[in-house]
Amino acid sequence: MEESFGDLKGCQKTYQKTALSQYFAPQKIEEALEILSKYGEEIKIIAGGTDLLVQYYDRLYEINNWLDLKNIIELKKIRISKNQMEIGATVTHSQLENSEDIKKYFPILSQAAADIGSPQIRNRGTVGGNIVNASPAGDLLPPLMAYDAQFKLLSVQKEELIPAEEFFVGPKQTIIKPDQLLTQVILPLPYEKTYDSWIKIGKRRALAIATITLALVVKMAEDNKTIKEARACLGSVAPTPIQIKEIRERMIGKNFNQLDFNQLGQMVEDKISPIDDIRGTREYRKDVAKEIMINALEEVYSSWWRSYK
Amino acid sequence: MTKLIIELTINGKKKKVETTPSTRLLDLIRDDLHLTGTKEGCGKGECGACTVIMNGELVASCLVLAPQADGAVITTIEGVGDDKGLDPVQEAFIESGAIQCGFCTPGMILAAKKMLEENLHPTEEEIKRGISGNLCRCTGYQKIFDAIRLAADRLSSRDGGRGEEDA
Amino acid sequence: MKKMPKEYVGKNIFKVDAYDKVTGKAIYADDIYFDDMLYIKIKRATYPHAYLRRIDISKAQKLPGVVRIITAADIPWVKNFGLIIKDQPVLVGVGQKMRYMGDALAIVIAESKEIASKAVKLIEVEVEELEIISDPLRAMEKDAPLIHQDGNILATHYLEKGDIKKGFAQADVVVENEYRTSFLDQVPLQVEAGVGVFDPETEIIKLWVATQWLHDTQADIAQSLSLPKEKIRIIQPVIGGAFGKREDISVHIHLALAAMITKKPVKLTYTREESMITQSKRHAFIVRAKTGATKEGYLTAWQVEVIGDTGAYASSGPAVVHKGMYHCTGPYNVDNVKGVAYTVYTNNTYAGAMRGFGATQMAFAYESQMDILAHKLGIDPVQFRLQNAYSIGSSTPNGQVLTHSVGVKETIKGAVDLAGWEEWKEGRL
Repeated sequence: MEESFGDLKGCQKTYQKTALSQYFAPQKIEEALEILSKYGEEIKIIAGGTDLLVQYYDRLYEINNWLDLKNIIELKKIRISKNQMEIGATVTHSQLENSEDIKKYFPILSQAAADIGSPQIRNRGTVGGNIVNASPAGDLLPPLMAYDAQFKLLSVQKEELIPAEEFFVGPKQTIIKPDQLLTQVILPLPYEKTYDSWIKIGKRRALAIATITLALVVKMAEDNKTIKEARACLGSVAPTPIQIKEIRERMIGKNFNQLDFNQLGQMVEDKISPIDDIRGTREYRKDVAKEIMINALEEVYSSWWRSYK
Repeated sequence: MTKLIIELTINGKKKKVETTPSTRLLDLIRDDLHLTGTKEGCGKGECGACTVIMNGELVASCLVLAPQADGAVITTIEGVGDDKGLDPVQEAFIESGAIQCGFCTPGMILAAKKMLEENLHPTEEEIKRGISGNLCRCTGYQKIFDAIRLAADRLSSRDGGRGEEDA
Repeated sequence: MKKMPKEYVGKNIFKVDAYDKVTGKAIYADDIYFDDMLYIKIKRATYPHAYLRRIDISKAQKLPGVVRIITAADIPWVKNFGLIIKDQPVLVGVGQKMRYMGDALAIVIAESKEIASKAVKLIEVEVEELEIISDPLRAMEKDAPLIHQDGNILATHYLEKGDIKKGFAQADVVVENEYRTSFLDQVPLQVEAGVGVFDPETEIIKLWVATQWLHDTQADIAQSLSLPKEKIRIIQPVIGGAFGKREDISVHIHLALAAMITKKPVKLTYTREESMITQSKRHAFIVRAKTGATKEGYLTAWQVEVIGDTGAYASSGPAVVHKGMYHCTGPYNVDNVKGVAYTVYTNNTYAGAMRGFGATQMAFAYESQMDILAHKLGIDPVQFRLQNAYSIGSSTPNGQVLTHSVGVKETIKGAVDLAGWEEWKEGRL
């Protein structure tokens, strides 16, 4: 076996070099970035592979160069640093589902991860993959958006922090550049009086790509009476996951008893413009969006009420 | 075509295999190692027929690249049970009639085994969730649930399921 | 040794192949390997309804590792195949028509699956597109282009019992509705797969293929290849589900040809997508039902028109659709019945056998009719069913008198109990 990439000493596994294709599995982020800066669009990044191997079924040979992130331990960590949670890009859905810290601070992120695919998929699929794959139905995306996530993008040249809401530009399209690697998801640790709800509607409970999803996060002010922040984010209703900003405007500064849940549900229905596809019609999605918004508000309200009493 | 050599431990044996970046772990297991108990039903992670245990986790081998399994420890259905006999999960599947066409069975048994390793007293809901990545098109789920409950009972009894029947 | 029934009756018997299946030792078609085995992939139709005007395999043939590509021009002696009607070509040739996306244009034989897949993509095809008929109602129109030369209505079957006019005259309430069901794939967990070996000495072709109708399949392959039946030997490995889908020929003839021509062991395994596109489905039905009942809640007349979309080829279609019509009244007594069933060609994937064989689709129509009638009559739908249900001595729409084993009333009662219908009605559930 030869050295696969001349000046990269750290690659744990080096493979026979041919002019045809390369398989890199570096141990360090810096090495991955150098490989990306050299290969750019000519290389595919693989983490869990649960989207990529489906997209390239029966034509994997079309991919010439691979960058496998599996050996980069740094990317597999979940940790709390100062007032924020840092989730490595190759943290799996199973890790998110089972992490005590995620369950404590970001419960609906854990719930959304638990709703993905099947045990087999959750054990391989990663948060970073879910983000960069940028499916409008990506299950983790509405909760990440609702929790005000930022994505850390690294390249040899620079480091960028991009808010979730600016990251997605269309179905399967993001602002990430070929030489950039998503390394971390950063979430501000929530203020303790935060109440949230996650609802996923699909054809069945396992292995269902979402027909519609909703993540609602409501933060109360110090008095635990006034709403200080409210974010309602939906998946599968637009080319990208979206936040309904009007909900935020309507809810902030109010008490729960000043809110008409039905009206807020209607607002969600009115503000979205979903399409007909194999998973559901526009009409169905609009109807269901209203209902799940009301359900989510009721859930948030009752958990607030329990804590308020 | 780029060739590369990977090493993995499969059913307790260390193997060195020549493969390519575009080979799936499933193909490596079947075509190169001829462990054909691992099946392909869809190739897209939907059916679970290709399920194996990789580094202690249930995975769909159709969604893993062979080079991603470099250094991994893998159990396929051929590695379940030993010289002394069948694994209690396998026995329970036979006794409960949880087998029809048998195509889902290897993946189903691995999923059940993994679930019971983590939880010896699964509820019905937990059993369903544990095998939610495995489809049985003969729709023999009821018997599969029975088999998993039987295996759980035996495994949680003192003799580890190798002894007498619980009447 | 003769086994006594007492050894088995009332006892749990383990499946004979259970041990093999729980240990992964059971051998299915795709689990068979030979040294020097070659892999096949099929170039499929590029348009659902079109004349093939040109097929160019030159680029594909140059790909290293491609052993042989067979097109229709290489096998002029091969005949069509089919379960009831031999209307399905083994390969569509230049000047011939592709009728659905599953039609085969070329058999690509290569040293690996990957090379075969790449080669398939290098085959260039030119077609003359025709109108795609995806709706059987369009297919039945006078000006619709013909998918097969003898017309788009493949078969028409009629049913008549009693006097339908008299029956409707006796009715106090008549309901008339149209029901549509969709295509359904059987999705056995194992995809179509097989291995073929040609023995040059005996000239016998051995095929290991998951198949439901061993001897019919053998006969069909033999007639297609103009060989005596004894030259085709089908060895049945373990089958990963069938549910009707394996009644039809899939990989068989392509395997046989590839084995004969290359003189090497060959394997052909479909992808799931290919299986869905290529092999049979449950028929999509359009059922127009008109049902009459007296105000006391007794059925008097039932008239149906059944249109079964059989797709591009006949398969079991004529049998499925007219059997469906025979089930038009479900398990309910009706003295006056009239029906017509059309089995219609379209450019959809062909439809054939699937569990229930036409009866399943009809259930949606007749049980809906029963509910709608019960509602109009103001009768409890369970009671309405029970008072019309078959018993010993009842006769079916096609005149079969039921002499034993009629359990429908017990079944309804049992289901109603388990469902908690009475409690639900009283608002207790």
